Amino acid sequence: MDIIQIHELTKDYGDHKGIFDVSFSIKEGESFGFLGPNGAGKTTTIRHLMGFINADKGRCTIKGMDCKQEVQRIQQFLGYVPGEISLPEDMTGMEFIEFMAAYRGLKELTLAHRLIERFELNPKGKIKKMSKGMKQKVGIVTAFMHNPEVLILDEPTGGLDPLMQNRFIDLITEEKQQGKTILMSSHLFEEVERTCDRVGMIKQGELKAIDTIEQLKASQKRTYIVVFEDEAQAVAFAAEPLQIVAHEGNRVIVSVQQDMNLFIASLHRFSIKDLKAKEQTLEEVFLHYYSDIQ
Amino acid sequence: MINIALLKREIKGSYILWLIFAGILLMYISIIVTMFDPALGEVLKQFSVAMPQMMAMFGMSVVGATLIEFMANYLYGFLMLIFPMVFVVILANKLVAKHVDSGSMAYLLAAPNSRKKLIRTQITVLMGELVLLILFCTIVGIVASNSFFPGKLDVSAFIRLNIGVLGLHLAIAGFCFFASCISNDTKLSLGLGAGVPTFFYLILMLGNMGGKLEPLKNATIFSLFDSYQLMDNVAAGWWKVGVAAAIGILFFVIGSRIFQKRDLPL
Repeated sequence: MDIIQIHELTKDYGDHKGIFDVSFSIKEGESFGFLGPNGAGKTTTIRHLMGFINADKGRCTIKGMDCKQEVQRIQQFLGYVPGEISLPEDMTGMEFIEFMAAYRGLKELTLAHRLIERFELNPKGKIKKMSKGMKQKVGIVTAFMHNPEVLILDEPTGGLDPLMQNRFIDLITEEKQQGKTILMSSHLFEEVERTCDRVGMIKQGELKAIDTIEQLKASQKRTYIVVFEDEAQAVAFAAEPLQIVAHEGNRVIVSVQQDMNLFIASLHRFSIKDLKAKEQTLEEVFLHYYSDIQ
Repeated sequence: MINIALLKREIKGSYILWLIFAGILLMYISIIVTMFDPALGEVLKQFSVAMPQMMAMFGMSVVGATLIEFMANYLYGFLMLIFPMVFVVILANKLVAKHVDSGSMAYLLAAPNSRKKLIRTQITVLMGELVLLILFCTIVGIVASNSFFPGKLDVSAFIRLNIGVLGLHLAIAGFCFFASCISNDTKLSLGLGAGVPTFFYLILMLGNMGGKLEPLKNATIFSLFDSYQLMDNVAAGWWKVGVAAAIGILFFVIGSRIFQKRDLPL
């Protein structure tokens, strides 16, 4: 069953800004990664799902309920982390968490306390004095504390340090095991790779591609920086039947997709000083992958 | 109907503002009441003769012989118009536009409470605190008059005066709330909410100076508060209060309707 359905959703802000005929759906228990450069329309799409804005055309539903008309019912089982954390500054973290619980009509704070512990959040301080990461943690607690069935997360790990990003990924993995449906926008390859089943790429307001994470990983290119003993070797290496991206002094940058064995065999014949793998962001993978289509 | 958690939160976030305005008005009301003195009335009359336009501009042209007339002139011609107005402008902006501008509205909407319920709660806070402020001023006025000049105040006329001023501020509150509901940022909300009533007040000041500009006196929202008609308990005075309250309610209704439907930049 499709939990989230988006059908020909259009919001034209003029000047080619907005989203245009975006359609996709997310099945029950599925986790969907939403990717795209800044201003591509990720947040605009999420705003429709949250009922913040009206579509010019098309519609979106969550569990069959219209995101604008029946927003009140949807919010009962929805957890949301906004892209920009802006908490009321005059409250302490705990005051805000308690306020949000009371505002929702949630009496049980056990889950909230468990999340506070999990993210090592000290909620006693004033929000005004908190770092971005701390505020993000408060936002995560309020999004998960009512054990929602559906999660909409807009760049949820922004501001978190790598340790906490990992804890967040663990949390998402657990939520997925419980059968939660997740829509998450992100910039981090690892985050999406470890948590999402499918990934959609949006660019200039148009959904360019949807793929499973396996397909995406298969098409991923690895880029290596090889440093040789001397320049002569680098020149000789650059003549090998490999995809050479750049060559400068004793350094060569190689892109490897399917021909991994060939690459290793070539390396064997040279005297190597250093070998580094260059991390590729998921966006780079996508842009590369679909550069032929565009 | 309303959300109690949000109501508590907004009261907690605004009671200091209320206390500041209540404190200012407490001070002014007490001072003005103690200033009442038939002999001082003579001095003020001399002021009026010496610089009639200056005194007229602030609605202080008629020097009252009785305590209630004195208060109507010196309190309800300027201070009781301006201070509650500023309070209402600040609070109305804080209750809606500030949440939208800062983005904290996203949290309020990411919960199973409708926009309608949210906005009704905010209206309750604004109207509640306004009524309490005017009620407080009424009590202060009565207590101060009775302690300094026992038996000198026409209490029922004074209460009528306060109901009238409440009607006027309800109209202003409705407009400010409307401005807050339609704005994406506090700049627009405050600009409209403070700008329009202030503009009206300036027009009133010009009208009060008399001469060719005299008709302007009746061309502003402030002319819906006619202190002399209310003191005399004339029907026309009550009609004006009714119109002011109706304007306020109309703006509250339109503002919340627009807020419920519109796109929010969150």
